[in-house]
Order: sequence, then structure tokens, then C-alpha cells
Amino acid sequence: MKKFLNLLTKEIKEIITRQLIFSMLFTLVLFYFMGELGKSEVRRAAAMQKIFALDLDGSQISKNLINSLELTNFKIDLLKGKNKESAIDTAKKSETNLLLIIPQGFGESVAKFEIKELETYTFLRTFSISGIRHSAILKGVISAINNYLSNNFLQEKVPGTSPENIKNPIKSKDFVLVKNKMAEGSASSIAGFVSSQSLLVPVVLMMIVIYCSNMVISAIAMEKQNKTLETLLTVPISRASIITAKMLSAGIVGLISAAIYMLGYRYFMSGFFRDIPTSSRATQVIKELGLSFSANGYLLFGLSLFFAILCALALAMILGVLAEDFRSAQGLVMPVIFLVMIPYFISIFSDISSLSLPFRILVLAIPFSHPFLTTQNIFLQNYQAVWLGIIYMFIVFIILVIMAARIFSSDKILTMKLKFGKKRVQI
Amino acid sequence: MNVVLKVEGLKKFFGNLEALKGISFQVEQGEIFALIGPNGAGKTTALRIISTLLSPSEGKVFCLGHNLKKNPDKIREKICYLPEEAGAYRNLKGINYLKFMAKFYAATLEEKEEFITRAKAIADLGERLYDKVGTYSKGMTRKLLLARALMTKPALAILDEPTSGLDVINSLEVREIIKKYVKEGTSVLLSSHNMLEIEFLSDRVALIDKGNILDSGTSQELKEKYQAKNLEEVFRSSLQ
Repeated sequence: MKKFLNLLTKEIKEIITRQLIFSMLFTLVLFYFMGELGKSEVRRAAAMQKIFALDLDGSQISKNLINSLELTNFKIDLLKGKNKESAIDTAKKSETNLLLIIPQGFGESVAKFEIKELETYTFLRTFSISGIRHSAILKGVISAINNYLSNNFLQEKVPGTSPENIKNPIKSKDFVLVKNKMAEGSASSIAGFVSSQSLLVPVVLMMIVIYCSNMVISAIAMEKQNKTLETLLTVPISRASIITAKMLSAGIVGLISAAIYMLGYRYFMSGFFRDIPTSSRATQVIKELGLSFSANGYLLFGLSLFFAILCALALAMILGVLAEDFRSAQGLVMPVIFLVMIPYFISIFSDISSLSLPFRILVLAIPFSHPFLTTQNIFLQNYQAVWLGIIYMFIVFIILVIMAARIFSSDKILTMKLKFGKKRVQI
Repeated sequence: MNVVLKVEGLKKFFGNLEALKGISFQVEQGEIFALIGPNGAGKTTALRIISTLLSPSEGKVFCLGHNLKKNPDKIREKICYLPEEAGAYRNLKGINYLKFMAKFYAATLEEKEEFITRAKAIADLGERLYDKVGTYSKGMTRKLLLARALMTKPALAILDEPTSGLDVINSLEVREIIKKYVKEGTSVLLSSHNMLEIEFLSDRVALIDKGNILDSGTSQELKEKYQAKNLEEVFRSSLQ
């Protein structure tokens, strides 16, 4: 045990370099600032929108319309005593990006149910994403005006009846069923809420698996590149201990790194979503349907993630043996990345269970697919599927570890190289 | 004399390539036994098998009474191996590298300190021992590695080209260190293609070429047998 701890400590020290610490801190700071940037954009979008308005009509209808816009989250800055050109000039010089011009005869045309065009001017001062916001604001303005005018007309023609009832005479009462639980709510909003809550899961999983694998492969490659592997293999410590120390050190550092990156990612995401309140009704529905993680659910997810990491580490040990130096190690991580990316993208854009049978078998044969399915299966209370996935990953891990141990205990550790067809042996 | 290492009919195949064709020799306690031969003769393969890195295809190896195939772990406790192109962990300081290696062999804290004190004397790197290995010259790294190999006073030191890549002064120092430790009871099995070095260092030599041992004996015996002035001439004559 003393020898094992000695080796484990060395392995961890070898991995945690100044460069690694710097890059982790840099990522954390970067994510934080990106989150702050996002937050300010979201706040700006949610704030009252300022619009210049020029009323060339001056009718009661146009005045009422401007008043109604002020009631729907728009701050109207009414330009008085100006013509179209001078209004455009004023707006150009200010920081307000939108100008609405109500033409002469607008009220009269509306009263006759004739379509009259309003003029809108958008001042594009930047081509960044924030510039896209202007068109959304503009749509909001036009929709608010149309709503106001149609409501007025309906109230005039059918007094005593709510205009909303006339515009939308049919409404639905939606119910969602999950297994044998039922609750009132929209399927799309519930699915959206659940997926937003578990958005982090695939990202965490992908990052941990790739990160840990990269570390193991690099650790073996560095031993070969620095010509330290032969010495290490002749010291009195078992090959199993060498494998375990390398896997454990990479696992520990990989988990710490992933946790730090996730913290940064959380900062980043919270920048966009922190200020958006979750409705209590949605929370209530989620609870009624049992779509939240219980302690048992967390335990199962943890187990699934743990075995996926073990599989990745054992696979990386075998791939690491093929590496000749640090450069070749970078290429050898690719098979692991592919194996993680396949279920990652399927889980995001599709559903593994909806794939054709041969393709589904292929995807399920990848051990890393199972943790991606675990969240969904726990929500749907398919515990049997979760356990089967965990057992499958355990079996794969044992097979991979036996293979790694055999390679480390044989000549292959020194003679195996990624040179197709030829072995290079030093005699 | 106690036999420290006994090799009988050792063969090694790499696919179709027969790197060792049934070599036999033995190393006695307190002697320096050298395998000499050109590049590709099979010296490194033989040393790698004896140091438990490679498994033999055929033949028997007994090291300090243990069968290599059955008890490689027992053998690792009593030997040390210095590969020809060995390196040390570049991010570790020299002293920390020695401490790291000492912990694998020392049973107690006192023994670990004893190993490190001995290693410091062998390496003779002074304050540079507290710098990172990555900043060392080739000669400094080689001396650090030799210190690592000999600090435990192993029963058998297996040294592959111990002065490889070193300048004249460093080579002389390394040879003197090896001689000193043999006097203190360590047996040495070394390989080299520098036959003059072997003549100076070794008690007995074996001439190896294309996986076969051509002849063995003391330098003097071989020179007399082949009526040669030095081992280089002996080797040339043995090939004919």
C-alpha cells in the first residue's frame, strides 16, 4: 500500500502542472465573464424597450395606439413638431435604435378597415447577436398594435363579449401522462423544462470521459517519451498497482478538472437563465409526474457515471500502450472521443430508443451510451434498464482491465506500437 | 563463489525474428560480467529479460535463487536495471526523484534516508540536485540514474551501456563508481559495444553476436586464446 501511494502521489504531481492549473483558472474566469455578459444582455432584453414615435396623423386612434404601446412594456419617446426627415435625424443621433412613424390619414384608414402602412426604422449600430434583438422588438410593436386595433373593433361590433373569446373560440385543457401518473400541463413545456434541467448532464459526462481518457493516455505516452517506463516496470511494485495508480490519478484529477469546468459552465449558463423564473405551476406538475431526481435516482446516476469513467480509463490504458510519445497520444484519444460523441449527439438531437434495431444495438454496445440514457430512464422509472446498463458497463470494465493487465504484464507493453503490420523491436 | 545469476539456453523470438538463440552464462557474486557485441547482437534483449521486462521464449533464468518465470516480483526486489536510454521524470527535482525511487525499496524511514545519502554521494550533483531533472545535461541525468540504480546496493545491478553518451571525464567517474560498488558486494551484469571500456571494467566477458555467445572468459584468457592485443581483436578473431 505504501508503494502504491508513493506511485499515486507521483502520478498526481505529474498531471497537475502549473499549465493545467492556469488553464483551469483561465477557463473559470472566461466562463464567468461570458455569463456576466449574457446576464447583461438578458436584462437588457427583459427591460422596457425605448422607441421613438412620430405621430403625423394626430387622430384619436393614433393617440390611443401610442398609449396602448406604453402599457405593453414599450417606452415611447414622442417626437413633436418634426417631419419625417428630422425625426430620422434625431433618432440617428440618439442611442434609441427604433423609430415608428404613424402616417397622416392612419386613423381614417383604420376606421374604414383599410390597410394602412406604418413606417418603422431600425438603426443597426452593431452586427452582433444583440442586433438581432431589434427585429424581435419590432415584431412585438406590430403585434401589440394589431392586437389593440382588432380588440377595439371587436368591442365596438360585439359589445359585451371578450375579444379574446372571439379570436380564440377553442381552448384545450392539456394533460400529460408519465407511466401511471397524470397531471395537467403541456407536454412540450414539461419536456422542455426537464431537458433544460438535465442540460448539464451530457456535457458533464462528455467532458469527464474525454478528460480522464486523455490524461491516462498522456501519462503512459509521457513515460515512453521520457524513457521512464522501463525503469518503472522493473521496480518492486506489481503491474496491477501501476495500472491502478495511473487510472486512479487520472480519474481524481479528471473529476476535479471537470468539476471546475462545470462550475464555470454553470456561471455561464446562469448568466442566461438565472433571471428567468420557473413558474410554480410547472414545478408543481413536475412534482406530480415524479420527474425529479430522488436520492435513489442520484445514487443510480452516480453509479452509472462512475462505471462509464472506469470503462473510459481502462480503454485509455490500452490505447496508451500504443502511444510512442505525447504527440501520438493526442491522436489516440480520438476513438474515445468518437465513442462518447455518438451517444452525446443522439441524446441531444434524437432518442436512442427511436433508432432502428441494428443501430440501437450498436449504440447500446458503446458503454458510454448508458449514462446518457440513465437520466431519462430514472425520470421514467425504468430502473431495470438503468441497472442493466450499469451491469453491462461493469462487465465491459472488467474485460478491459483484464486486457490492460495482460498487456502490462507481457512484452506488449514495450513492443506494441501503432505501426500497422510492423513491429519495431530493440535487440 | 555464489552464483547470483544463471542463464541456461535462453531464447527469445519477436515474431519470426530469433533475437537470442539459446545463450547460457552465469554471474558470480561480486564480479562484473559483461556482454559485449555490436549493435543488434542481442545484448539489450538479454538484459531486458533478466531485468523482468521481457519474458523468455525458451530456456531458464535463475536470479538469486528465484526462477524468473515464476517469481519476477521477488527478483525485482533485489536487482536494479539501468536501461541504455533511460530518463527521469522531468518535472521532479533530482532529490525528489531519488526519494520517489527509494520508497519502493526501503522498508523503514531510516533505510530510505540511508539510500538517499548514498545516492547523493554517487550522483555528486551538489545543489543541482534540488533543480528539476528537465534542466539537467545528459551527463547529469546519467549520474542521477546511476545513483538511483546503486543507492540500494542491489545484489545484481544490470547496466545497459552505462556510459552511453557521456564524455570522457563523466565516463571515467561512472566506471569508478561501478568498481567501488562491486567491492561493497554488488554484482554487475553490463553490456557495451565499447570493448576498451569492458576490458577496464569487467572480470569476465561474453562475446555475443547475432543472438549467440561466441566465447567467454576473462579478458586475459580471451586475449591469450586468440593471441590478440585487446578485446576488439579478440572479437574480430572469434567471428572468423
